[in-house]
Amino acid sequence: MPVDLDNSSSATKTTVSNAASGDASVSSTHDQSSPPKPPPKKKRNQPGMPDPDADVIALSPKTLLATNRFVCEICNKGFQRDQNLQLHRRGHNLPWKLRQRSSKEVKKRVYVCPEPTCVHHDPSRALGDLTGIKKHFCRKHGEKKWKCDNCSKKYAVQSDWKAHSKICGTRQYKCDCGTLFSRRDSFVTHRAFCDALAEESVRAHKMPPPPTNNTDGDPVAPTAAVSSPTPPCAPEATAVASPIPPIQTPVTELPENPTQVLEEAPPVWTPRLSGSGISSHNSSSSCGSGSSSLYTSLFASSTVSLESQNSGSSDLIRAMAHLERSMELAPSSSTEPISYCLATNHGLSLFGTAAPESRQYAPPLQPAMSATALLQKAAQMGAAASGGSLLVGLGLLPSSSASPRLENLHWNDHKAEPAGAANRSGLGLGVPSNEGSGLKELMMGSSPTFGPTQPTLDFLGLGMAAGGSTIGGLSALITSIGGGIDVAAAAASFGGGDYAGKDLA
Amino acid sequence: MNNSQTHRLWPWPGFPTSSKALGSFGDANCMEQLLVYCANAIENNDATLSHQILWVINNIASPDGDSNQRLTCAFLRALIVRAAMIGTSEIVTAMARAMNYPNLAPQTHRFSVLELANFVDLTPWHRFGFTAANAAILDAVEGYSAIHIVDLSLTHCMQIPTLIDAIATRLDGPPLIKLTVAGLIEDIPPIVDLFSYDEMGLKLVNFARSRNISLVFKVIPCSSSDGFARLIEYLRILQQQQQLLAAHDEALVINCQMTLHCIPDETAINITNSDSPYNSFSSSCPVSSSSSSTSPLSARAMFLKAIRSLNPTTVVLVDEDAYFTTNDLVDRLRSAFNYLWIPYDTVDTFLPRGSKQRQWYEAYIRWKIENVIAHEGFDRVERQEPKGRWAERMREANFRAVAFGEAAATEVKIMLDEHAAGWGSKKAEDNLVLTWKGHNVVFATAWVPA
Repeated sequence: MPVDLDNSSSATKTTVSNAASGDASVSSTHDQSSPPKPPPKKKRNQPGMPDPDADVIALSPKTLLATNRFVCEICNKGFQRDQNLQLHRRGHNLPWKLRQRSSKEVKKRVYVCPEPTCVHHDPSRALGDLTGIKKHFCRKHGEKKWKCDNCSKKYAVQSDWKAHSKICGTRQYKCDCGTLFSRRDSFVTHRAFCDALAEESVRAHKMPPPPTNNTDGDPVAPTAAVSSPTPPCAPEATAVASPIPPIQTPVTELPENPTQVLEEAPPVWTPRLSGSGISSHNSSSSCGSGSSSLYTSLFASSTVSLESQNSGSSDLIRAMAHLERSMELAPSSSTEPISYCLATNHGLSLFGTAAPESRQYAPPLQPAMSATALLQKAAQMGAAASGGSLLVGLGLLPSSSASPRLENLHWNDHKAEPAGAANRSGLGLGVPSNEGSGLKELMMGSSPTFGPTQPTLDFLGLGMAAGGSTIGGLSALITSIGGGIDVAAAAASFGGGDYAGKDLA
Repeated sequence: MNNSQTHRLWPWPGFPTSSKALGSFGDANCMEQLLVYCANAIENNDATLSHQILWVINNIASPDGDSNQRLTCAFLRALIVRAAMIGTSEIVTAMARAMNYPNLAPQTHRFSVLELANFVDLTPWHRFGFTAANAAILDAVEGYSAIHIVDLSLTHCMQIPTLIDAIATRLDGPPLIKLTVAGLIEDIPPIVDLFSYDEMGLKLVNFARSRNISLVFKVIPCSSSDGFARLIEYLRILQQQQQLLAAHDEALVINCQMTLHCIPDETAINITNSDSPYNSFSSSCPVSSSSSSTSPLSARAMFLKAIRSLNPTTVVLVDEDAYFTTNDLVDRLRSAFNYLWIPYDTVDTFLPRGSKQRQWYEAYIRWKIENVIAHEGFDRVERQEPKGRWAERMREANFRAVAFGEAAATEVKIMLDEHAAGWGSKKAEDNLVLTWKGHNVVFATAWVPA
C-alpha cells in the first residue's frame, strides 16, 4: 500500500514507522552508525547541513518514482496528491474527505537517496526537498528517458530536458566544414585550424571573393593596396598590405637578424626561400606582398592535400617537392637564410620574416589552377630579364639550370635585359617535364623573348600593351592550341593589334 | 598456498576474500593507504610485502571500475613501473608479467591538430588558463602597435586563435603580432602528430590574416631540462638588436601555460651546462634571502630571473595547483593521489565510457601519474608546485602580481557555465583559481616587473 506522506495528520508521522509496508523508515539524523560514510576525499562540507531536528525519511525507489500514488477506485485515474483524488471522488458522488491543513507546527523533513552507494544516502547528507530528492535520484541513478531532438543529449528528469531544449541550438557557430559549436572559443579555435579556412584563403587568392564567414568582413580588396602604376600584381596583393605599410620599418629590420642567429642551429634544408610564407606581413608597398602570399597559398593548398591524407612525412615530402619547384621562382636577392627546416627531432624554425622590401615579385603558385587562369597570369607577369622562364615561374616546368635571379617581373621595369634571352630553347625553358598541357608544345614551338622592350611577341602573343588579355581571348587561344597551331597564327587570330605584322623574332 | 575460501593464508591469514568484504576496501582512503604501504614496501625493497600488497590492490582496483578504482589502478601501474625501473625486486616485475598487466607503457595518443583543438575544449582544465591569460594579456598590451608573444605551452598553440581573436576585436587598430613558440624537444603529452610546426604556423597566419592581423610565426626548439635556455638566448639577442635599432612600442608577453613545472627545481639534480646563458646570472644576481646561499640557483629560478631581465610587459603564469616536488616518494604519492582524483572525477561529466576521447584522456592522466611516481631526475617533468610557491618565486625574481579584472573573472564564469556544474572559479587578490567541487585545480597569475 502506498505510504501516505502528506502532512495532513499528526498521526502520519508515527504511523509511518509502524507501517507494515516496509516501504519507508524514519530515522533520526543522529543515528550515524549504520550508513557508511561516503568516501572522504577531503571534501569540504556540502552546504545545507540539514536541521538536526528534522526527520529523515528514506523512501524506496518505487515510492520515489511513483507519480500517481493515489488512484480512484472507480475509474483508476491516478493523482499525485490525495487532495486531488478526493476532489475527483466528488465527481463520482463518492464519499470524500478533504483534510484541513494541520495546525500543528510541521516538523521539517529531509530525505535520503535510496541508492546505497550514493553520497546522499547518508542522513547527514540528506536533501531537504522531496522534489529535489526525486530529481536527484532520477538524474544520478535513473534512466535517461528524455532526449533532446536537436543535439541528442539525454535527460532523466523532464524539467531538465525542457530547460535544455529551450536553449539548445539558439547560439550556434558554424564552421565552414559544417561542424556546429555552441561555444565561441571552441568555434574560434577549431576554425583557425580547420582546413576550411585554408581552402577559403586559397580561393581568396585566386579571385576577389565575396566576404564569407569571416567575422570581421573579409579584407580582400584586390587592387586597393597596390600602387596603381603597376598593373595589379594579382589579386593576391592582399589587403594585408594596406594596413601594414606604416609599420614596415621596425619589422623589416627585425626579422632579418634573428635568422642569422639561428642559422647554425637547425639543419637547413637547401632550397632557400625568401619571404617565407609564414608571414602574412609584407613590408613592401608594391608587389612584395606577392611573395608571402605565394607561399601562404602554396602552403595552404599543399596543406589541404596534406590534411586529406593522414600520413605525415610522405605528404610533407610531396609538399616539399612543390616547394622546391616554386622556390626557384623567387630566390632572394638578399642573403637572408630563410631556411625551411625539416629538423627531424624538433619543431622547426621557420623564420617568419617579412618579405624583404620589394625585391622581387613572385606570382602565387596555384598548381590546381585552370589553364585559363594560368594564361591570364602569364599575361600579367613579365618574365624576368635573365630568363627565368614564364613557365618555370609558374612552376609548371622545373628549371634545370640554376635559375638566375628574377630581379623583377614587372612589365614596367625596363631594367630587364631581354635580348640575350633569345637563345634559350623554347621560352628559355630548361628541360620541359610533362606538366602543363598543350602549352608545352606551344612554347617549344616558338622562340619569343621576354621583356617589354622587345617589340616582339611574348610567348603567348599577348603584349603588355594589351594591358593583359581578356580571358575570352585566352580561351580562344587555348582552344586553338590543341591543334598545335603555331603561335604566330594564333596571335594573328587573336588580333592583338599592336603586333600585327611584327616578327616573331 | 592455501586457496580455500575460508582459510586463506595468503596474502595474510584472515585476509577477507569474499567480494562483499573486499568491497569495503573500495573506500578511497583505504586505497590510498594501501598504495602508501606498497610504496613503502618498494622503497624498502621488501619484495614479499610489496608483492602481497600489489596483489590486493590489483584485486580491488579494476581498470574499468569507478573513478576511485581507476585512479588507484593508475597508481598501481605507476608503482609497478617504478619497481621495475628502480627497484631491485625481480618478484615484482615477475608478478607484473604474471598478472599480464595491460600496457605498462603509457600509450598516449598522438593528436592531429583538430583532434587536439577538440580535446582541449572538453574540459576547462586548459581553457581556463587560456581565458584568464587572454584577458590579462589584453589589458597589458593596450596601446602597443606590435605585440611579441612568447608562448610556452604544452598544448601547442591551442590558445592562440582565441588570443588573436581577442586582440583583433579590440578597438585601437590591428597590431602586428609576433609569435615565438617554444618547441619542446621532449615529447610531453598532449603530443601532436606533426612532423613540424609548419602546418600549424601557416594556419595561424592565415587565421590572423582573416582577422586583419599580421602574424609572424617562429618556433624555437628548446628543452625544459635546461630552463629553455635556447629560447632565452634567442630572446636576448633579439632584444639587443631591437635596442640597436631603437625599435619601440612593442609589448613583450611571456605566456606560460602549464609548462614551467617541467623545469627542474631545486629538488632535481641540477646540472647546468657550462655554456648555458644562465651562468652569467649566478654570479651577478644577489642571492635572495629565501633561497639557500650555498646551493646554486635551480634552472627554475634562473629561468625566472632570465625572463625578468628581458623586461617583459607582462608574464602570465598558469599551472596546476599541486605539490609534486618532494623527493620523498610516499609524500609525493599522497600528494598526487589527492590531486589527480580530480581528473578522474571530472571525466564522467564530459566523456562517455568507451569513447576514444575518454581513453585518450585517461591515458594522459596515467602518463602524468606514472611520471610523478616512477620517474626521477630529468625524466620527471611533472614537478608542480603550489601557487603560493610560484608566487614566492616570482617575487624573488622581482616581479609583482597584477590582479585580474572583473572582466576576466566574468569571462571565466561564462566559459565555465558551458561545462559541468562541478566547475567553479574563485578570484583572490592576485590570482584566479579554477576549482572542481571546491578543490583547487589550476591557478592563473599575471605579473609585471616590480
